[in-house]
Amino acid sequence: MKELKWYYPKTLADAEILVQQKNVLPHGGGTGLLLRNLTGVDGLIELYQLPLKGIKRSGNIIKIGSLCTYADVVLEMRKIKPDHILEKCLRHSANTPLRNRITVGGSIAMFPPWSDLIGALIVLNARVSLIGENPGDFPIERYIKDKILRQNTMFTVVKFSLADWHSAHYREVRTSSDMPIFNHTVLLKITEGRIVESRLITVGTATKYTRLTKVEEYLNGLQINSIDGTEIEKRVSLKFTGSRIDDPAYTSIKAGIELGRMIQQMVRS
Amino acid sequence: MRGNFTVNGKKCQFEFQADERLLISLRNNGYTEVKNGCMEGECGACLILLDGKPVNSCQVFTASAVGKDIKTVKGIGSLHQPHVIQEAFVEAGAVQCGFCTPGMVLATYSLLQNNPNPTEAEIKSALDGNLCRCTGYVKIIEAVKLAAERLQVNGGYHE
Repeated sequence: MKELKWYYPKTLADAEILVQQKNVLPHGGGTGLLLRNLTGVDGLIELYQLPLKGIKRSGNIIKIGSLCTYADVVLEMRKIKPDHILEKCLRHSANTPLRNRITVGGSIAMFPPWSDLIGALIVLNARVSLIGENPGDFPIERYIKDKILRQNTMFTVVKFSLADWHSAHYREVRTSSDMPIFNHTVLLKITEGRIVESRLITVGTATKYTRLTKVEEYLNGLQINSIDGTEIEKRVSLKFTGSRIDDPAYTSIKAGIELGRMIQQMVRS
Repeated sequence: MRGNFTVNGKKCQFEFQADERLLISLRNNGYTEVKNGCMEGECGACLILLDGKPVNSCQVFTASAVGKDIKTVKGIGSLHQPHVIQEAFVEAGAVQCGFCTPGMVLATYSLLQNNPNPTEAEIKSALDGNLCRCTGYVKIIEAVKLAAERLQVNGGYHE
């Protein structure tokens, strides 16, 4: 059996050449590659010497390096904008030692069904910068849906704009450090007591994630004191599958109820 | 494969398989104070400090840690010169079987370096990656508080 080969590039240019090799994957220190079978993988590119760490603010644009860990994101976003949705999503994700290893890059590239990160990045309309076979700047939704775009590339930075959102994140878990069966991320823009824009997403559905467009249509233009939780529940119809789901129908009902509660709590506070 | 590491302040070289985990490499090279609990990153028994940050060594490829600084529980104190935290764990009765203790001690060490006077909620949060099947955690939390108190009296870590 061919032995796995490790590469230690010192520059992004070197990494870009390596990532275009067949059966060679980038490794940023996260846990995703440890979970998967490495059969068919000939080499791993260890990225830690590359300038891919750090979170920078340039005006209203935030850029997060792909090697940033969840712990890095929580710490830095707390300084930039306390209670930002990314901090809310990641601060209870996994546990303390795992948050010191799970990287933004790995999470986006692998997009596991329990991801606490992807939902937030989608509703933030984040963009990813890629190097390799398909270099360029792409909306994150395109990156995660397009297998061909992802082939033989690695992403260096994810960016999004800072805006004044009311935000909330809900994780359906059995214990505090459990991987969520699903999670909701909600962004609301409220002006003079009225919702002027809403962005809602559920991650962990049968299609990996679902934008809650019917709920968004209901909420947009609504006065916050006339939000009816049952009207929200009625508009949630999600499909769940997989071994972690005991009863897909029950999970869908629960998802609707929790979303309704979450939004009512958001506007009350 | 071969790689250089710094473990508990000493430079050393390990030979390891390309897909080997740091936990296994450490144990194979005599650092058996790093315990093998779950191999899934859930229990924290294998916790070490990697470049100063607490990580589960079972979730690290050894090849990914080449050149880095590793601290195990033996790196913070010894049988004859225990660290304040190690003493606190013993005095508070926070050790039963002892299997989780190395990880708990290092998680505490990391917490108190960054937050010398943590609240109970902050203690629970910092130790959320360390499971104990024996104690029910009450004594462990008391031990952390005792260590924090003593470290403040002694003026913190001296390294």
